[in-house]
Amino acid sequence: MDIFTLGFLIVSVILATIALIRDRQKTVAAMRKSKGMMGNMLGEIIAIIFLIGLVLTFIPPATISDVLGSSNVQLSTVLAALAGSITLIPAFVAFPLVGSLVDAGASIIPSVAFLTTLTMVGVVTFPLEKKEFGLKFAVSRNLLSFVFALLIALGMGVIL
Amino acid sequence: MTTVGNLIKKNKLMVIVALIYLALLAVSPDKATSSFNNSIYYLKEMLQVLPIIFLLTVVIEAWIPKELIIRHFGEKSGWMGNLLSLLLGSLSAGPIYAAFPISKALLGKGASISNVVIILSAWAVIKFPMLANEAKFLGVEFMAARWVLTVLAILLMAWLVGKFVKKSDLPAPEKTDSLVVIRQDYCIGCGICAKMMPMVYEMQENKAVVRADAPTLMPPEKIRQTVQKCPTKAITYTGKEK
Repeated sequence: MDIFTLGFLIVSVILATIALIRDRQKTVAAMRKSKGMMGNMLGEIIAIIFLIGLVLTFIPPATISDVLGSSNVQLSTVLAALAGSITLIPAFVAFPLVGSLVDAGASIIPSVAFLTTLTMVGVVTFPLEKKEFGLKFAVSRNLLSFVFALLIALGMGVIL
Repeated sequence: MTTVGNLIKKNKLMVIVALIYLALLAVSPDKATSSFNNSIYYLKEMLQVLPIIFLLTVVIEAWIPKELIIRHFGEKSGWMGNLLSLLLGSLSAGPIYAAFPISKALLGKGASISNVVIILSAWAVIKFPMLANEAKFLGVEFMAARWVLTVLAILLMAWLVGKFVKKSDLPAPEKTDSLVVIRQDYCIGCGICAKMMPMVYEMQENKAVVRADAPTLMPPEKIRQTVQKCPTKAITYTGKEK
């Protein structure tokens, strides 16, 4: 385990312990709620992780870095952003998925575009958003999120 | 038999992946083993972050007075309101559509359109417990850089949407006769409400509904408790305020 993860773990254990001491009832209730939410996702998480294994076996790193690598960033970034907009996988598993692609040689810019549109732009949830907030709101929020996802991705390319 | 069917339905993806592995094992055992080994590596990494995410979610839930933030929301505007929205979004759990009911309630309490955009976007991309996850798989620098850029983008986007969309563009709130309404789009069928007040709620086809024979005189305090306990805030109660 790397130092950063270990540090995060220690801090969260300490905070949770303090929470337990301060308000046992409330913390236990929160644990139950959190357990339920994560339990619902666990099957999906494991399934996607095993899917990653398949992807890495069948799509060799050379292909990944060819398609998502630095040679044709513009096209792959737009495609990644589009893919992120229509897929509905929890952000939870998106990180290991994108991490595995980056490890295999994918460029950072399309990876960031995918991560950002994945959660911020929702084609699948669009009808619900339109129903709740109206067409104009839903269209402008989703369009702007798409554009800003591309900008964030470009910015990341400059920084890292 | 129905329970097996339900299990398969609930874990559709898992069943599909398992079938792929079985087929692969029959055709080319080598590739199946190597896929399996690849997965085990990521599974181990995931198991390291899972407890962190779990604990942080619990701490936030137990400690941060989200109700307090929401209650003071309508009064605050300007930078303070933006900051509160950013906090509220990043401290919450669940996918973006889980933020719709809360945002709608806040709009009713006078929150600005810009702040609703901030809540929705922050809710989607910059959740605190998830930062540990991102740092683990993509590195601390990546996480920090993306966080800063995303916060800037969210603020800019909120300002733009606020300029473009006016409150009159939003749909009017729906009118109903009943005091307690469960929005079916958001109910995840956890059954908490039905367990708390079986007189009022019941489960039908994995969704909670208000019983047709629910008593007309219901203790408002208990109803409010179910509204609060609902993990997706799908229940609305329009009873008299205290």
